[in-house]
Amino acid sequence: MKLRSTLLSTLSASVLCVAGSTAFADCANPIKVGVLHSLSGSMAISETTLKDAMLMLIEQQNAKGGLLGCELEAVVVDPASDWPLFAEKARELLTVNEVDVIFGNWTSVSRKSVLPVIEELNGLLFYPVQYEGEESSKNVFYTGAAPNQQAIPATDYFLEELGVEKFALLGTDYVYPRTTNNILESYLQEKGIAADDIFVNYTPFGQSDWATIVADVVALGEDGKQVGVISTINGDANIGFYKELAAGGISADDIPVVAFSVGEEELSGLDTSNLVGHLAAWNYFQSAESDANTDFIATWKAFAGEERVTNDPMEAHYIGFNMWVNAATEAGTTDVDAVRTAMYGQEFPNLTGGTAVMLPNHHLAKPVLIGEIQADGQFDIISQTTEVPGDAWTDFLPASAVLKSDWKDLGCGMYNVETETCVQLTSNY
Amino acid sequence: MRSALIVLMLMICSAPAAIAQTLQPILQTHAAEISKPSRRSVGETLDAITRSSLPQATAFLEQWSEKNIWQRDDGVFFLGVADGNTLALTDIDTQATSSAPKANYKQLKPNGGVRRLIGTALVQFQLIDPDLPRRETAVASIARRPEAAQLAPLLASIAAETDPALKVRKTQLANFLSARFADEPADRIAAINSLATDTSVESRAVLNQILLVKPGVARTQPDGNIAAIHDPMDAPDAYYTALINEDLAPAKQTTADMKRTLKSNIVDGRIAGFALAQMNDLETRKAAYAALATDGLVPVLITEDLRDASLNNHVFYDLYDEPNAEITAAAHRVLGTVTSRVATAQVADLTLDALSLASIFFLAAIGLAITFGVMGVINMAHGEFIMMGAYTGYVVQLFVPNYTVSLIIALPLAFAVTFGAGVVMERLVIRRLYHRPLETLLATFGISIALQQIAKNIFGTQARPLTSPDWLAGAWVFNDVIQISYIRIAIFVLALMFLGLIIYILKRTRLGLEVRAVTQNPGMASSMGIDPDRINMMTFGLGSGIAGIAGVAIGLYAKVTSEMGSDYIVQSFMTVVVGGVGNVWGTLAGAAMIGFGQKGIEWLNPSNTLAAQTYMIFFVILFIQFRPKGIVAQKGRAAGD
Amino acid sequence: MKNTFIAKNPSVLWFMLGLSLFTVIVSICSEAAGTALISTSFLKTLGKTLCLCLVAVAMDVAWGYCGILSLGHFAFFGIGGYAIGMWLMYDRTKNIVVSSLESNILPATPEEITDAIGSQIFGVVGSSDFPLIWAFSHSLTLQLLAVVLVPGLLALVFGWFAFRSRVAGVYLSILTQAMTLALSLYLFQNDTGLRGNNGLSGLQNIPGLEAVSQATLSLWFFWASALALAAGYLLFAWMTSGKFGSVIRAIRDNEARVRFLGYHVESYKLFIFTVTAMVAGVAGALYYPQAGIINPAEIAPIASIYLAVWVAIGGRGRLYGAVIGAAVVSLMSSWFTGGSAPDINLGVYVVKWTDWWLVLLGLTFVAVTLFFPKGIGGLFDLLPRKGERT
Repeated sequence: MKLRSTLLSTLSASVLCVAGSTAFADCANPIKVGVLHSLSGSMAISETTLKDAMLMLIEQQNAKGGLLGCELEAVVVDPASDWPLFAEKARELLTVNEVDVIFGNWTSVSRKSVLPVIEELNGLLFYPVQYEGEESSKNVFYTGAAPNQQAIPATDYFLEELGVEKFALLGTDYVYPRTTNNILESYLQEKGIAADDIFVNYTPFGQSDWATIVADVVALGEDGKQVGVISTINGDANIGFYKELAAGGISADDIPVVAFSVGEEELSGLDTSNLVGHLAAWNYFQSAESDANTDFIATWKAFAGEERVTNDPMEAHYIGFNMWVNAATEAGTTDVDAVRTAMYGQEFPNLTGGTAVMLPNHHLAKPVLIGEIQADGQFDIISQTTEVPGDAWTDFLPASAVLKSDWKDLGCGMYNVETETCVQLTSNY
Repeated sequence: MRSALIVLMLMICSAPAAIAQTLQPILQTHAAEISKPSRRSVGETLDAITRSSLPQATAFLEQWSEKNIWQRDDGVFFLGVADGNTLALTDIDTQATSSAPKANYKQLKPNGGVRRLIGTALVQFQLIDPDLPRRETAVASIARRPEAAQLAPLLASIAAETDPALKVRKTQLANFLSARFADEPADRIAAINSLATDTSVESRAVLNQILLVKPGVARTQPDGNIAAIHDPMDAPDAYYTALINEDLAPAKQTTADMKRTLKSNIVDGRIAGFALAQMNDLETRKAAYAALATDGLVPVLITEDLRDASLNNHVFYDLYDEPNAEITAAAHRVLGTVTSRVATAQVADLTLDALSLASIFFLAAIGLAITFGVMGVINMAHGEFIMMGAYTGYVVQLFVPNYTVSLIIALPLAFAVTFGAGVVMERLVIRRLYHRPLETLLATFGISIALQQIAKNIFGTQARPLTSPDWLAGAWVFNDVIQISYIRIAIFVLALMFLGLIIYILKRTRLGLEVRAVTQNPGMASSMGIDPDRINMMTFGLGSGIAGIAGVAIGLYAKVTSEMGSDYIVQSFMTVVVGGVGNVWGTLAGAAMIGFGQKGIEWLNPSNTLAAQTYMIFFVILFIQFRPKGIVAQKGRAAGD
Repeated sequence: MKNTFIAKNPSVLWFMLGLSLFTVIVSICSEAAGTALISTSFLKTLGKTLCLCLVAVAMDVAWGYCGILSLGHFAFFGIGGYAIGMWLMYDRTKNIVVSSLESNILPATPEEITDAIGSQIFGVVGSSDFPLIWAFSHSLTLQLLAVVLVPGLLALVFGWFAFRSRVAGVYLSILTQAMTLALSLYLFQNDTGLRGNNGLSGLQNIPGLEAVSQATLSLWFFWASALALAAGYLLFAWMTSGKFGSVIRAIRDNEARVRFLGYHVESYKLFIFTVTAMVAGVAGALYYPQAGIINPAEIAPIASIYLAVWVAIGGRGRLYGAVIGAAVVSLMSSWFTGGSAPDINLGVYVVKWTDWWLVLLGLTFVAVTLFFPKGIGGLFDLLPRKGERT
């Protein structure tokens, strides 16, 4: 029993305070911002960066005078890359710590784990990572890319600019690559690529034996068509894959590879001199040239350390947090329903130039960038589109083509345009 | 700074004076395309630049492709090299140099597709360039985008070619081009026939390009070089879709279409007399639809009979793009020969891959073959020894930047580190548990968990780079099908060396004799004057040390993470158990079985590597159930039970 | 009979009293009771811990009593979770689909309903066909049976092969570990039809009970878990006392001698292996609706190893030892890795528990194996002697 009571007291005390320097006179309690990112376990490497980014943004906002005259206070918890623990910690944040908003999650499975809790308790979550779409929850704002903001433009680039006629879709075997590849398969067929000219392969997490698969890809060129690889390979497995590509002397001029999960951080585990010219598609690269980005990188390095890099999900949090602050200011409260209504149509400048707009389907309109890998491990941006509105339900799968999300006017995240009915109000996780 | 700008301005203003010799005006007329080029529209611009026949055009194209062209605010192009915030600029025409702040200039970054077109445009200039790398670039460009117009200049350049390797390559390419583009059919057939022994992807691409077909459908069979006539009954729905696409047949209604039609024909809450409540059944819906169709309100439902009737009224054919039947016949015949050669080569390549995978499994398991196989000690921290070896390699590379030297240092150092760790572990933990194997298993698990987490705390969870030296970086290429990276060959050789070494130590040395004596009967061995404690310690150290070296090799070929050990541990134990405990040859057999088995399953289902791994483990479990002592079973007293 | 059983096993009585007291106190403190001294999220943690205690007890019977060191019992736990999860997902989705199709002008056909359920459940992985494995998911009864029968059957087949071939000791451990690995890889594949890495989610929402708040539901599940633990404990305490218990302990101590005495050792082992697997399945079926999500990572080999760690630290060969081990270690794990344990500042280096807890756990485990093979439960051996004296 004693153990339990100590546990209880520490659980409720599991609050990390960020002290603000400004005096917040007209506010009794600080506004609490939950940060739900893994600080240990397999996802820690990616998510800890986002936790730091959130602490930096909150510190900046407090220096600017906080929000609604109140100080912002970060409540950091560690779901430890354990998916059920995400649900538990989310409940703790919403009921024990009573936070006003949560910024968090990286993997799709962790988001699916948190969804029922957020919807049950009417919380507010900002999710910053590119994902597979096919979801639109009333209580979640998706600031990362939907497939049509990353995969589709990259595929268009392959078709239009590189003249690729035969595609190898390589992915790690989990939901993001599966869904993305399904969407791409039907998109490519719509664009006149024969089913035989699309090669799909799934490998486990951490796959290291790539010789056969790379050989299969090379062999695709045997009918004289230009081959391109679209890679949704995740994490560590990329190292073996790119090493095998480099060993086989496959240059970007022969078989270009575009990756959706390879950023500045992943490349630091590799010698990129043999990979120059291969591609990645994101909404943000550190090498983007704009004043806002220069400032952001400088602040980040001052906050977190000189050697740290910035990446796409960090920009998503940057936009999401600032939009939330503006929406709360507009609404005059941090009440979830009021803030949500104020979120629609919020605009905020991107770090890459242009303006992000929050759409009624809880996704952002953002530009899509394509970068070529350089020898120094950074990306050289060679293509930037205008703002693409994020699409919750893809137009390229028959089952979801008829679906539409509009929380503002229709008040429904899964509206069937054909039958003109709302399929469901809460998500089916 | 300002004076530099003025000088620049003057230079540009003076440029139009010598209009015939300057490229800038041509560039300016195409400025929009040059600053934002696209593969589909850049051709015209490239033509204009090459047509100018200016000497600086080649240089401009090369530099453009290298992303070294910068455009000033007012649209003028310069050759520029960035250094911090300043640009070292060179005028396109006059070659005059200057420098300017970067802020007023924009770097041009043509994408890969445009760069390929630039390469093609440069071919005519580079093919006879005195500089060998330029000629090689030109030849590579031809290989990437073969065009009819390239045949003549390529043929002309062969005679003067001085580099023997490039000459062979040029001849080969010329042959490919002749097969597709030569004027005389006889020349083309000759070229095609000469490809019969060439298994390269390029050669197959040439043949397949000649054999390109267009599927078509018509009432009667058309004239032309027909490749095949299809029986529509093989896939009736697909062929019917083709008919619909050609507007030769009415569309077939899906159940969703039917539902939509029914919904729009609701009259007074009933459809064709059927009550709405009855519509929760597909058969009723069909009946209602049929009733509507007989009333002529909706199009007739396309039944399978109707579909088949219209299919049988049409001919489905494939038509060759190439009108000359003799050429397609020759290409078809040659492709058949090549395909069977390729199939053989693929089997050989798969065998190589399987061999390589087996050697990786063997290398990961060989340390275990000693500690578990010979000594009978379960070491679940074996995987972490592999990891320690790999991290040793990484740390050495941090201090020794030369990859070859660092590898030479890393291998013995990794052995030393893991040998030490093994000895310490043996003395502190395993020695106390020699007669409690289950407890050894658990205690070493504890160590494994701790070591993994310590590695995470020191090196972080992110993968660390372990780069192989250049001489190990490439691949051994027999032909386009059979190739294997050098690092895999090195692992294979390393595995063989260890096999030899261990067999030698166990069978031919005093230590080996003592090891075998201690494992078979420690009491008797010690009464013969052998110190079992020392022997156990040495053997365990040896097994651990080999794991360390294996770690360096595995890190070179894949990745270095704190979790790499757990990727191999279950696999390694299964390798030893399947092969048969107590025998190094058994481990070899086990590794071979798992390696070849996994590649075999992968070959059956190439789109799902995970399935291959899963089913291989299932198979191994079954195998052990039926043959618990493994492939090479120990017999007699040494077997132990 | 009952009197003698309790008299022979006083620890059972003490355990039951302790568990009941714990349950009553937690119930009073819960949000559903109105006092809200324990938050719902912590109540869920406690309920889950009870399930872990149950599977630990099962593990203890297999390992501590019968000497079968199975490194695969979490596979059975996971199967139980998947079995109940399939019904929870199917039925919840069906309710959603039926209510959304109700507003249609044409009433939906059965095919349309199935299609809609399929595309809701599998749409995220781009398919709408129901895999064969979901054939019984519409029926709660059948899936509840599957919770017990599928782990039981798997254990029976696996055990039959293994024990028949006299695979024992460390070989069996490695083989069971390979089994979990294979199973988790199998579930990881999308083609298996159990939604791959995403697994089954939203399991905390019980179909038909949408009106009941999570605070109340959590309490119900807590009670169910406590009841299951009590029942499992009683079952195993009864099994391990008496003659049957003596035989399996004898198998643990010297298998060959028992065989020579004429006992069919394989049948005893197979029975224990199968029964403990079935209990593990039940524990899993109660655990995952409280956790909310099950996915293949839950049954990765490391989970089963932790199970062995709990039992070893708690004390093998005594049921309450397993309960203590599972409760203490799993609660401490979540406390230390939750980021709420205070860091220790050593001046030159700050020990963060999120980073160093696993190191401590691993080394503790080595120390327990080497020096305290009786574990925490061994401390209780000191008590009865005092009792004897008075």
